[in-house]
Amino acid sequence: MSVVDSAVERVADSPVVSKDDLPLLLVLPGLFVFLAFMLFPVLYLVYLSFTNAEPATLFQGKEQWVGLANYVTVLSDGQFWNSMGVTWLFVATSVALKVLVGLGIGLVVTGERVRGKRFMRALIIIPLGLPGIFTITIWRGIFSSAEFGLANQFLRMAGLDSIAWLSERWMAFLAYNVTEAWLAYPFMVIITVSALQDVSEELHEAAMIDGAGFFARFLHVTLPSIKRPVLFASILTAAASFQQFLIPYVFNQGGPSRTNELLIVYGYREAFRFQKYGEGAAIMLVAVAVIGVFMMLNVKKGQLADGVDDA
Amino acid sequence: MSVISDIAAELADDARTAAMAPVESVKDAKYTLEGIREGRVSPATVLKTAGITLGAAVVVALLLFPLYWVAVGAFSGTGASLYSSSGIRLWPADPTIEPFLWVIGDLIVPSYRISLGLGGYEVFLQTPELTFLDVSQYGVTETSEFKRFFANSLTVAIPTVILAMCLIVPSAYALSRRQFIGRSKVLYGYVLFTQIGGGLGVALLIALYALFVQFGFNDSKLALSAYYAATAVPFNTWLLKTYMDGIPVSYEEAAMMDGAPSWKIVTEIILPLSKAGLATVFIFTFLTGWTEFVVAQTLLSTDNYTLPVGLYSLVGRYSIPWARFSAFALTFAAPIMLIYLFAQRYIEGGLSFGGMEG
Repeated sequence: MSVVDSAVERVADSPVVSKDDLPLLLVLPGLFVFLAFMLFPVLYLVYLSFTNAEPATLFQGKEQWVGLANYVTVLSDGQFWNSMGVTWLFVATSVALKVLVGLGIGLVVTGERVRGKRFMRALIIIPLGLPGIFTITIWRGIFSSAEFGLANQFLRMAGLDSIAWLSERWMAFLAYNVTEAWLAYPFMVIITVSALQDVSEELHEAAMIDGAGFFARFLHVTLPSIKRPVLFASILTAAASFQQFLIPYVFNQGGPSRTNELLIVYGYREAFRFQKYGEGAAIMLVAVAVIGVFMMLNVKKGQLADGVDDA
Repeated sequence: MSVISDIAAELADDARTAAMAPVESVKDAKYTLEGIREGRVSPATVLKTAGITLGAAVVVALLLFPLYWVAVGAFSGTGASLYSSSGIRLWPADPTIEPFLWVIGDLIVPSYRISLGLGGYEVFLQTPELTFLDVSQYGVTETSEFKRFFANSLTVAIPTVILAMCLIVPSAYALSRRQFIGRSKVLYGYVLFTQIGGGLGVALLIALYALFVQFGFNDSKLALSAYYAATAVPFNTWLLKTYMDGIPVSYEEAAMMDGAPSWKIVTEIILPLSKAGLATVFIFTFLTGWTEFVVAQTLLSTDNYTLPVGLYSLVGRYSIPWARFSAFALTFAAPIMLIYLFAQRYIEGGLSFGGMEG
């Protein structure tokens, strides 16, 4: 009887892990690699946020523990609160836009009188297959102030003056919103269409017999039946908006002059542009905590985890 | 390769449907006309339907206009002022494929001289120079770095796929077919991460970068692949598990009755039957490495840029005309779009997002 055998036997006898749990070995490698690249960096990020790490100190192993100093600095910084405000404003406006666009397109491509609906739906979700960096660089071209900029060409066609989209604060913000809406509309349309298809025909017919017009039926029959799926989609997409990084980063680095830095962009730039790893880490953790609480509240209130709970 | 023949069959099916679509609609139109003539259908209804359909088509066209605009841009000549300020063109001003030639550049396999020493004799072998495309013939002198980015992307994406498949397939099988301690916890964790963890990548970037530098991994394409494989694990494991759940247990029971050992059941029943799921996971993991931008941009140096980072490096470089930029972007994105949309369709049957029963 070798040592190994007895070790195996001991493991097999232990109350926590039994011999039947051997399939666990098939799952562990994946779990281990996942945790090594996800959980470990999270812990390290927490550590960094309590130090004065900068490239000059960190890579020499000379970073110092500074306690909560980074959090104090960040939370008392006007720049941080500006970012927080802009981020929530972006969440509000972009989610509203996405829901409206998704609902509008959803109604169009499920319309009773529209022919070739399936074909249209197939075309409409094309942007889903495009890499994010492609879509966003293309939209940067659309809002470009150069001569080819599509947005300005439309303005000129309408007889209006060109706008320097990316160097004016609110115009840049508007450009972010439009791009975000275009990025997310296939997802919203898919959810909305499947919800619209589940709306009961009978209710519609009953309402029609009672003399309800199109808008009355939309308000009192369609909307209540699609409310839950659309709410679910908007909460997921709100989280995506909150974490938006690429659009501001590619468009104008969250500019002009740092006014439009969404939280994640702000943390990224503090760390990599201004070399303050500690503060950057603190910002990222605050952002993750905020979005975590937001999601948790929504999941609790909207009972969104119903489908997952019995896993 | 029955997966490929399946895919070919589906493609042929699609092509047939697409080819028959005009015929069908003509038939429809004829039927409607007859209806009007015989007074079964009122012309007003037909007009209303046509109008509403036209309106819907306009909405679709407007939504996809940016993509069309990029394509028009990519086929335009590379004048400094590409568009006159007169307005939007629906057709390239001076149609040319020159921008695409700039993107792809020469496709020439240079000739190699191989010398073999054979017992005192030396034999020289001269391989011929293979020229597939010589862009200088078309007047394109300098070319983009597309091929270098492409090679870098491949050397990142291929290890990603290999590593990810090695991690995902066993996990998915165990989660789908076996009971063990912590099973539901792992599954729950993976689903949770799939739903909300997407944006965590950028938030973790500072720690990731610091760790990679300290381990000496920054600028290592292999380490980047390992990271991509790790991020691909939760979603794809869950996807493949859901797919395997759809395979009837009775097949395995029959094999077990015949005395097949469990490894044989896996290789002879489970894996062949989940080939569509495997193909999908293959594509998704490949695209993870192929399309990721932020982490690659932070970790890699200029020499190792992958395609997305290469694309971004062209943004705002005023020496590069918009036509060339669009051509570059399209060459990068068009194949991905086709593959992705096809993969989406191919798994439709196997994937139901409600498939979370224990």
